Amino acid sequence: MRLLFIILGLISAIFAVILSVLPLSNFAYFPAIAALIFGIIAFIKTRETNKPKHTIQLIFLLTIISLALTTYKSVTATTEVGDTEQLEQRAQDSEEDAIEELNDIDISE
Amino acid sequence: MKHFFILLALSFSVLTSAQNNAFKGGENLTFTAGYSMSGLMTDFAEVTMATSDVKTKSGTLLRLKTKATTYSKWDNFFKIRDLYESYVNPKTLTPYLYKRDINEGGHYKFVKYNFNHKTRTVKSLIRKKSKNFASGFWDKNETVKISSGTKDIVTTIYHLRTLDIKKASVGDSDTFQVLFDNKEMRFRFTYAAKETINTALGKKECYKLRINLINNNALKGNDNFVWLTADENKIPVYAKFKVAIGSGELKIKSATGLKN
Repeated sequence: MRLLFIILGLISAIFAVILSVLPLSNFAYFPAIAALIFGIIAFIKTRETNKPKHTIQLIFLLTIISLALTTYKSVTATTEVGDTEQLEQRAQDSEEDAIEELNDIDISE
Repeated sequence: MKHFFILLALSFSVLTSAQNNAFKGGENLTFTAGYSMSGLMTDFAEVTMATSDVKTKSGTLLRLKTKATTYSKWDNFFKIRDLYESYVNPKTLTPYLYKRDINEGGHYKFVKYNFNHKTRTVKSLIRKKSKNFASGFWDKNETVKISSGTKDIVTTIYHLRTLDIKKASVGDSDTFQVLFDNKEMRFRFTYAAKETINTALGKKECYKLRINLINNNALKGNDNFVWLTADENKIPVYAKFKVAIGSGELKIKSATGLKN
């Protein structure tokens, strides 16, 4: 049982770290909280059996890193669009082409 | 039977279009597109819808331009630079030319429709990138038969704003034919309720319209809605779409150049 929670905690924590470095960082909260819960359960089970706690410490460490990174990103992130120069150029060229095409149409309708 | 058809015609005509009093050339609407899961929201793109007058030798047309651009943090993962355009009659919103130039995560596609409303046909061009051709592009030219009143997707969104919704009652619906990827899709818009919602433009009383795609399953479920302000401008301030996990949202950020 202890081993199961350690494995689940570790997977959740790794998943949280991966999500936190992606632009989808907001969703890292879900696996991070799961990792914390699994970690706490594993910690309690380990205390009862007096076994080594190194892996559980790793779970907590990874979770803290992911939570810190996610929180930092959500506070500092700016929602600005990237480079749109090419798109603007495409839009302008497209309008010029369209005018040429539309010069001969009948717009009586 | 005759009464049934009259009743049917009346119920559909409740939402039918009046003159375009909702927008004019020079309008600029900016939206934030986001993905929401269990209340957590991630904004990923900015969508702008702009109108402008275009002068041609045959008269003045209205250009309806929609652009979708991912935020810079997403560009390295999935860069979107989409351009949708439609050139329409300013009064009746009859489309003459539609262009879709999409660039999504390296995938490129160009679609052009030349509408001929007299013969009810559309001359279509679909262009994709291909290494098998010297030009680097694969072209497919086709002539598609359309029904009377078939529009493109951009014009349909604007056409929705010209509907006389204030005369409609909750439950009334209207169906529109939309040509997309050379197929005619049928969208049904149903007036679901009148709601007051908080938007970036302030607290707005809105018409809540349910969107159903009749002959296609691209839109899932019965929970796809668009909120149009219950004034003369009928600005689409909020839209919500159900996807496989979570939901997609479109929220207004700013609106300038409004007609009323």
